[in-house]
Amino acid sequence: MDNKQSNQDLFSDSIEEESKISDRREFFRKTAALGVTALAGTSLFASQDDPAIMHHAPWGQKWGDPVTKNLYGMPSAYEHNVVRRYTQLLASGNYRASIAVTPIQESTGIITPNGLFFSRSHGGTAHVDPKEFRLMIHGLVEKPIVLTLEQLKRYPKVTRTHFIECPANGGQEWRGPQFNSLQFAKGFMSSAEWTGVYIKTILADLGLKPEAKWMLSEGSDNSEMGRTVPIDKVLDDAMIVWGQNGEALRPEQGYPARLLLPGWEGNLCVKWLKRIEFAAEPWYCKEETSKYTALKPSGKAIQHFYANEVNSTVVSPSPEIPWTDLQDGQRVEIEGLAWSGMGTITGVDLSFDGGKNYVEAKLKGLVLPKSWTRWSYMHTYKKGEVLLLTSRAMDDAGYIQPTVDEETSVMGVESVYHRNGVETWEVTATGEVNHVQIRS
Amino acid sequence: MFKLDRKLIISASLVTAVALSVVGCFQGGDVTPPPSSEFNNHATIDGGVYYPVKDGRTGPYRINEDTLKGGFSHGRTPTANEIAAWDKDIMPDGTGLPEGSGSVEEGAEVYEAQCVSCHGDFGSGGAGYPSLAQGNAVTLQKTLKNQRVKPDADGPVRVFGAYWPYASTLWWYIRDAMPHTKSKSLTDNQVYALSAYILNINEFEIDGEKVDDDYVLDRAKFLKIKMPNVDGFEPIINGPQALDNVRNYYKDAKNFGGLNLKQGAVRCMTNCQKETAVVTRIQNGGISDLNPPLSSVRDLPAEKAVVLDPAQTLYEENCKVCHADSSMGAPVMGDKVAWGKVTAKGIDKVYANGMNGINAMPAKGGANLSDKDFKSVVDYMINSSK
Ligand code: HEC
Ligand code: HEC
Repeated sequence: MDNKQSNQDLFSDSIEEESKISDRREFFRKTAALGVTALAGTSLFASQDDPAIMHHAPWGQKWGDPVTKNLYGMPSAYEHNVVRRYTQLLASGNYRASIAVTPIQESTGIITPNGLFFSRSHGGTAHVDPKEFRLMIHGLVEKPIVLTLEQLKRYPKVTRTHFIECPANGGQEWRGPQFNSLQFAKGFMSSAEWTGVYIKTILADLGLKPEAKWMLSEGSDNSEMGRTVPIDKVLDDAMIVWGQNGEALRPEQGYPARLLLPGWEGNLCVKWLKRIEFAAEPWYCKEETSKYTALKPSGKAIQHFYANEVNSTVVSPSPEIPWTDLQDGQRVEIEGLAWSGMGTITGVDLSFDGGKNYVEAKLKGLVLPKSWTRWSYMHTYKKGEVLLLTSRAMDDAGYIQPTVDEETSVMGVESVYHRNGVETWEVTATGEVNHVQIRS
Repeated sequence: MFKLDRKLIISASLVTAVALSVVGCFQGGDVTPPPSSEFNNHATIDGGVYYPVKDGRTGPYRINEDTLKGGFSHGRTPTANEIAAWDKDIMPDGTGLPEGSGSVEEGAEVYEAQCVSCHGDFGSGGAGYPSLAQGNAVTLQKTLKNQRVKPDADGPVRVFGAYWPYASTLWWYIRDAMPHTKSKSLTDNQVYALSAYILNINEFEIDGEKVDDDYVLDRAKFLKIKMPNVDGFEPIINGPQALDNVRNYYKDAKNFGGLNLKQGAVRCMTNCQKETAVVTRIQNGGISDLNPPLSSVRDLPAEKAVVLDPAQTLYEENCKVCHADSSMGAPVMGDKVAWGKVTAKGIDKVYANGMNGINAMPAKGGANLSDKDFKSVVDYMINSSK
């Protein structure tokens, strides 16, 4: 603290300054009080000096790496446990029709680093030679075209932050909780800043015929992944993207170009894109009949279930990073993610008793449409307390997350996809965290 | 075209002369403007919020509206041959389905050679591979109402015959995506034969005739296939009303298990639970085979044991999944007899088979290896099996 500066402040007569000063006085008063009470209980007054402070750190006494090393940067070697993970349960095709999920328990902000973005394919990750990449757009257009990658990138660019979520996120838990892990319970999703072109920009010159109602998008990968998209989305915010967080798409995300339908099922955002066709009637691709259809108790299944509905979860604490180190009386942030493929998050409620009573949490940082949104609630931890942390998000379309009971009463338990009932995380008396569900 | 499209374009201020001719429906005068209420709540087809491009913005983003006006001449017109080469999708009405034929018997042969290693005998599936048949499709279609609310209850059977709405998907998918390890390698007649075989094990009838062991399937017969679950999906997405059906379906949150505060849902803050609410816990440890094992420790990774032969690492990363045991029908590492038979073909033939793929062996084992590295692994496998 600069003494001179604060003396000067004392003589200031502006009201604004006055209030600053009283804030500051208040701050000193509180800190002083804390010094003798709350902090005394913590390890801040260590009985022994900390070697990490008392010794020169080994990396501080020798040359570090030259700038010539790692011309493409790597995470610190100490971060080796922050990785995508997979399970035998979802290991179809020798892990070639499979998924590796994102460690959202370790994620910060609303962007997933490219190396941790969840990876899902139906015939393995394709390695497309950009020189041989072609994108063909044809069907019910006056003027079909074929583009090279360079030509595609000549179109004016749009950059947007959106999550992509596999609609099977949480889909293993319709009949009860299964994963004692945030990564596996909710990590079938990631978020990035995408750069590409609106499809409507390309269509402006191609002359979409009036009978065109549906768009087929097809990948060039081993599974020739295809999906049908209604024209409404194509003319709204559908994009063909090649940029992911400031660099080229990763192969796992469809290098060199993929479809991005903001807010919609990850499966619809076809990767390794090669062909777009317009028609008056829809296609019936394998991934929109056999899979990605949500069976209801009536025996009928929802097809063309596009948007990932409003959803949320507590991220901190998690089974992976619990509260076992917290001391009695410590203030701690309960942090979480909320997202909706149908709009912008407007609020999140948090319950400490599994959804009986709720309080309002606060949104944090950028609040963008069809994007991850961070939320926060400050809590004073009581040693030994048992909590059932349930979060419930709302969006500007009016949607609010249902309870598990409310959702299963309509969808049954066989739907696999699009589960967005509230999630509950139990904090035990020792600060461990368990994934549970509240059902009646 | 439907009014919403029109609204989308108009309110997105996209309407330049170019855009108008693009979306030809504007001049048609065949649609009345949507009621103003619809403009106000801006429903999108998925039931969500519509963020128009307006005054240099869309939602929170700034946008250069000039970029949306077209006038680009990137790319070129594809040749008719190029379009034909890529436009091979197959639609339920038979668009794209080529002429050809194949019998159940031929199909069974191809199936034994190229599919059984993953999909099992008679399409039983297992070990993560989808089942292609479980018995009579018409009977199984009735299981779709089953809900496994009790642990021992039977679930719905969602195999091809009982669940898929159209057979065109089967033909299209097999030709383009199967066998998984070497897709796009089957002839049209083989795809007809495999389709016939799969219809046979799903106990289909086509046009009153049983698809029995000596049935021969061709294009005309294929187009007569009626799937038992053709009406098993909502909203209805074909026909002239399709887009309206979809829009209306997602306007009502009840249809898809949603709750909407603008449709009568309540944001309850206190005493929101039934008396009967209980905590449900993970049973029997849940799914615990998570790889790599969960850890949030920050330390240095364990030093990897020094591997003298880099080919061994490549083997472990790329080939072991199939070659460690006989479940995939691959010659097993260390099995002298099996590898004796392989090498008897002559090493060049073995390399070539491995690099191009053979039956259930994917080209280069599906790995991204140079020819040299691949051959070094083959050598390593042969040497370890002497
Ligand atoms: C190397 C293993 C493998 C082989 C060999 C293989 N498949 Fe598959 N097949 C798969 C996998 C894995 C899937 C699931 C893909 C996915 O999830 O997208 C699949 C899916 C299918 C499906 C869709 C099933 C459904 O209900 O969704 C059909 C039909 C099919 N295969 C037919 C065949 C035929 C016919 C052959 C032989 C020509 C064949 N497969 C060979 C691995 C294999
Ligand atoms: C998806 C499973 C799978 C993987 C992965 C796989 N193989 Fe194979 N491999 C097979 C099967 C099945 C056969 C037997 C094919 C047959 O003859 O029907 C085979 C056969 C072979 C053969 C004998 C070919 C011949 O001429 O008979 C060689 C050599 C071989 N594999 C090498 C490799 C190498 C090297 C790798 C790793 C880079 C690898 N395989 C990975 C399944 C696999």
